[in-house]
Amino acid sequence: MYRRPKKKLLGQEAIPTTPLADMMFLLLIFFIMTTTLAKVTGFVTDMPSGQKGDQSQKQKTTSVALHDEKIAFNDQNVSMDELYKLVKGLRLDQKVGDAKVVIVSAAGMVNYQNYFETMAIIQNSGGVVAIETEGK
Amino acid sequence: MMKRMKKHELPVVPTANLVDIAILLIIFYMACSNFVSQSNVELKPPKARDLQKLQEPLVIVTIDKQGVIRMQGKEVPNAQAVETSVTVLVKDKKDDQKNVMFKCDAGVNREIFEPVMDAIVNGGGVVVAAGDNVKFP
Repeated sequence: MYRRPKKKLLGQEAIPTTPLADMMFLLLIFFIMTTTLAKVTGFVTDMPSGQKGDQSQKQKTTSVALHDEKIAFNDQNVSMDELYKLVKGLRLDQKVGDAKVVIVSAAGMVNYQNYFETMAIIQNSGGVVAIETEGK
Repeated sequence: MMKRMKKHELPVVPTANLVDIAILLIIFYMACSNFVSQSNVELKPPKARDLQKLQEPLVIVTIDKQGVIRMQGKEVPNAQAVETSVTVLVKDKKDDQKNVMFKCDAGVNREIFEPVMDAIVNGGGVVVAAGDNVKFP
């Protein structure tokens, strides 16, 4: 049986789409490997820069002192759980101005875990953290 | 009446829609991707309670367990370099865009991280301290 040959129109060649799926999967694997969907948790600090407080203000303000592994709340040694309860009990979120300020001082071998946890407790209780550093 | 046995044909999985699904997944990952820039930093984050989920800022400062300070994944020599870089990066930015994420290993001593935190604040940045959320009894 004679079949008429198909006319091949110029400029109308079909684009090969077979490798398209391969490229799509490669891109997908790339984005899966380089993407992090997990949200970071933490807190935003509100620390003033270079402000110097006077001695009279320090006497009135709540203070937390970190020295080595010890924690002192208003010169009284406490544990981290006790500090959490004491700071929560201050109801700093209901106070205004200087009453919200909690001075944090560190001396000796203080690791970042204690420092971070102390700041988190104060910040999440509605207080403002003021870092006391040694005068230069 | 005798019925003709049908030839068993192997089921064919239609693959025509596979490329569409792959394109949709690519668009999803492109829209929500956040490229890992600190994958080579070894640090154990500190733990605290009542932490909130944060939007990761553009500026990230890390201190690993060896005390090496890195800014945007690149090692910097000291806190002064952090202050200089933060000053440049947050210059002319709005207040809500001055956040600088600070990630530090839980065991690092204050002599290393305290100057870095001061440097971020002195450079005009707002320290966003990152850690793991835990529930204490």
